[in-house]
Amino acid sequence: MNSSNGNGSMSTASSSGAWDGRDQFPAGLRVLVVDDDPTCLMIFEKMLKTCLYQVTKCNKAETALSVLREHKNGFDIVISDVHMPDMDGFELLKHIDSEMDLPVILISADATKQIVMKGVTYGACDYLIKPVRIETLKNIWQHVVRKKARNTLLEIKY
Amino acid sequence: MDRNRLRNQVASMRRSLFDQGYLDDQFIQLEELQDDTNPNFVEEIVTLFYNDSARLIQNIEQALNSSPIDFCKLDDYMHQFKGSSSSIGAKKVTNECTAFREYCNAENAEGSFQQVKQEYAILKRKLEVYLQTVRQASQTA
Repeated sequence: MNSSNGNGSMSTASSSGAWDGRDQFPAGLRVLVVDDDPTCLMIFEKMLKTCLYQVTKCNKAETALSVLREHKNGFDIVISDVHMPDMDGFELLKHIDSEMDLPVILISADATKQIVMKGVTYGACDYLIKPVRIETLKNIWQHVVRKKARNTLLEIKY
Repeated sequence: MDRNRLRNQVASMRRSLFDQGYLDDQFIQLEELQDDTNPNFVEEIVTLFYNDSARLIQNIEQALNSSPIDFCKLDDYMHQFKGSSSSIGAKKVTNECTAFREYCNAENAEGSFQQVKQEYAILKRKLEVYLQTVRQASQTA
């Protein structure tokens, strides 16, 4: 699946079935990464691919949202920069929260306590400060497993 | 120049870039991402950074030339510049960006940005020479 239009661009590897969280290795985790900075986006893509994740990248929040809507259950986790011109990471997070049940990690070059607090309060499962190291990205699968476990627990309860 | 001498030159240039604080750990992250599927990854990222940031710099200079200065927009651009430069391990450039955002006001904005541009240009020259030498060393039989 590959699409590009005048409003933004994305590129991805071929899609596959759901990621089995019970597998020992998190390879194949389907990640959507959003950042309007092309340098950062290229680095993230390479890092995530090195982690053996399946990566789709977007340079606009709007595009990311349409991709997510078009491919429901096509992704396991979203990583998004906070400061983007058309729609910021917080707004994207709000949309994702209300429409899909996906863990969202926010990234920014900003490290102020207020903004991290904002991210956490908005429901981000993590808030990373740029520059991001590959070691950090290697662990993001834990957020997916944690969310699935929490959802299962809720289902059992109710 | 023979291969060994080139390789030594590469090693010494690289060491100096780190010792003098032009590059930090993040650059090593990029080097470690380079592999057979992306043998020129570092050079590609550095090129992408310099091409993209040229646009950012233009925006910043425009913002600085407007009257009155839109500090909100300026901060936005510098924020992105900082995110970008820190992602490639450009230590001095990133530090200048931080200093700019902290101390910049109407009086010193222009001057502060010259500092950023200066570090940016110095690093660009050094990286150009370094990456060219890396290329030469890898091509020499």
